[in-house]
Amino acid sequence: MLHELRLTKINPNMTAAVVECVYAATGSMLKMGDKLCDLSVDLSSGFSQYCPPISYFRVVSREKVWFRKILVAPGQSCNVGDLMAIFSTEPDELVDGAAARPLRITTAGIAHHSGMWSASGT
Amino acid sequence: MTALALTCGSLAADGFVIRRSGMHWLRGDGYVCRPNEVVGYCNISLDQVSGQRSGNFPLADEMELHVAFAPPVAGCLRIADGRSPGGYLNTLGLHVWNSDDVLAHLEKPSEGDQSAQPASVEMRLLMIAGRRMSALADTNIGILPGWHSRSRAWWCDRSGNELSTLLCMGVCDAAGVVRGNETPFVEAFEATPSAAQLVYVPDHPIVPCAPILLEQLMRSPAQNEAIAADLSRGLTNGRVAPDSNDWMFAGALLASLQNSPMRDRYDVLTPTGLQHLGPANTILMSLNSEVRSILRHKKLGYAAQMLRHRQTAAGPAVRSWLASEFEPIRRSIDDIKRDYRQLIDAVAAQTGARILILNRMSTSGFEDITSYVSFDAPMSDTLENIAAKEMNLMLHDLALECDVSIVDVDAIAAELGGSQNLPDGIHHSAAMQAMVRSEVVHILNS
Repeated sequence: MLHELRLTKINPNMTAAVVECVYAATGSMLKMGDKLCDLSVDLSSGFSQYCPPISYFRVVSREKVWFRKILVAPGQSCNVGDLMAIFSTEPDELVDGAAARPLRITTAGIAHHSGMWSASGT
Repeated sequence: MTALALTCGSLAADGFVIRRSGMHWLRGDGYVCRPNEVVGYCNISLDQVSGQRSGNFPLADEMELHVAFAPPVAGCLRIADGRSPGGYLNTLGLHVWNSDDVLAHLEKPSEGDQSAQPASVEMRLLMIAGRRMSALADTNIGILPGWHSRSRAWWCDRSGNELSTLLCMGVCDAAGVVRGNETPFVEAFEATPSAAQLVYVPDHPIVPCAPILLEQLMRSPAQNEAIAADLSRGLTNGRVAPDSNDWMFAGALLASLQNSPMRDRYDVLTPTGLQHLGPANTILMSLNSEVRSILRHKKLGYAAQMLRHRQTAAGPAVRSWLASEFEPIRRSIDDIKRDYRQLIDAVAAQTGARILILNRMSTSGFEDITSYVSFDAPMSDTLENIAAKEMNLMLHDLALECDVSIVDVDAIAAELGGSQNLPDGIHHSAAMQAMVRSEVVHILNS
């Protein structure tokens, strides 16, 4: 059975998020509580002339799955609804089919850290 | 209906002639205004009275100087043609200030014996002053246009009481409370009829966190010179060619490091003449300013921290200098508490000012944590909400130890609705700003 991770609205005013880092490696097995990725949400939609209202979030898996395919990379901006990754319950399952449901995840507000894509340029 | 003439009102500065520009109306003819609602403004300037010489030219470093006008009573505003010539005549001080000049009329429903009603009333005057970051920043349209290293405002009343001063040294959460987000200061003063001066010092380029404010307060002229010489060497050492952004950033950085706004004294214009005020009575700070990691200069030892979006405003030479000459210093919560304590003690000794600190919003409607197993200890290093709760608790401990007052943003946001009014934990909605402003006034009056 396939599960998908799409960018959902963490904040009602957001339209997009930037992938700050990806923790899991494709092909690996994830257990409940494993980190998937960190995201940044800029509610000013990038109008950088003002103090940007940026929040950072960590996405964590809430179930045991195989991480099969990643469609995003650090620094990439995703729109709400975009497909970010595909997971399967079996390690060798074909991933070109339709996902049965979204991956069950936890989202938590986190502090900015040096491992993030946005930290690399400053 | 009766028509009340709205006159300029009294404004005086001994030894100086006050000149004003034409009127900028913020509200149109026929607008129904509330009491104390600002409806227009003009620019003013001071000229020395002929034959007099003064070594001290008041407000000389505040090149933006406005008077905003507010009718003291409600009514329908009537603005006669020709009261506002427009163009540069609304910028330059062409008219000598005359308290009897009629600026507009106010129509009110007739009440009782009309012969007993006054024919005119003085406008209430809100003085607004801005010190430019550079004299080059002379945008001359609007209230407080351009770039200011300090701005302030006060009701210019005849109360006879000395003004008390609230100095805002915070980031966006505190700035919005004091300066508002519409016309600068007007939201705060329309809600605050008391005799107070509000002063705002921006957070660019330096974050006003406790160790930096303490060093500003204690730094000697020799240390200031050493900082300037080192910065100059950093920009001209040939490693990275500085561009115009570097020089402007460096100038603002130096101005910020070498001054302590907490020691500033103020000249204020009043209806009866100039008053000279001492340093701020109250300092408003943000817990959000107290970042866990600050930069410290490797050789000179001073602290300098900039918000990340400010650093991107610097050019390549400043960024290279910051990377090579500074090292990040991690602060524990105990370190932050110690830094606060040292600042509070130093301020008490030097100026006696009272400190108010806005705490942090410590909850979020945007998370769905069902288990904390995923997050390594100490969780406050990762999870913002836990970090905010620990910082808020530290502030309570601090308030038990010394004279500091907490403005409970956390409780106000929870009551008002954080997701709608404080979506990123630092930028408030207008409703949130109004409630925090009201809480600040309540604390000051208690």
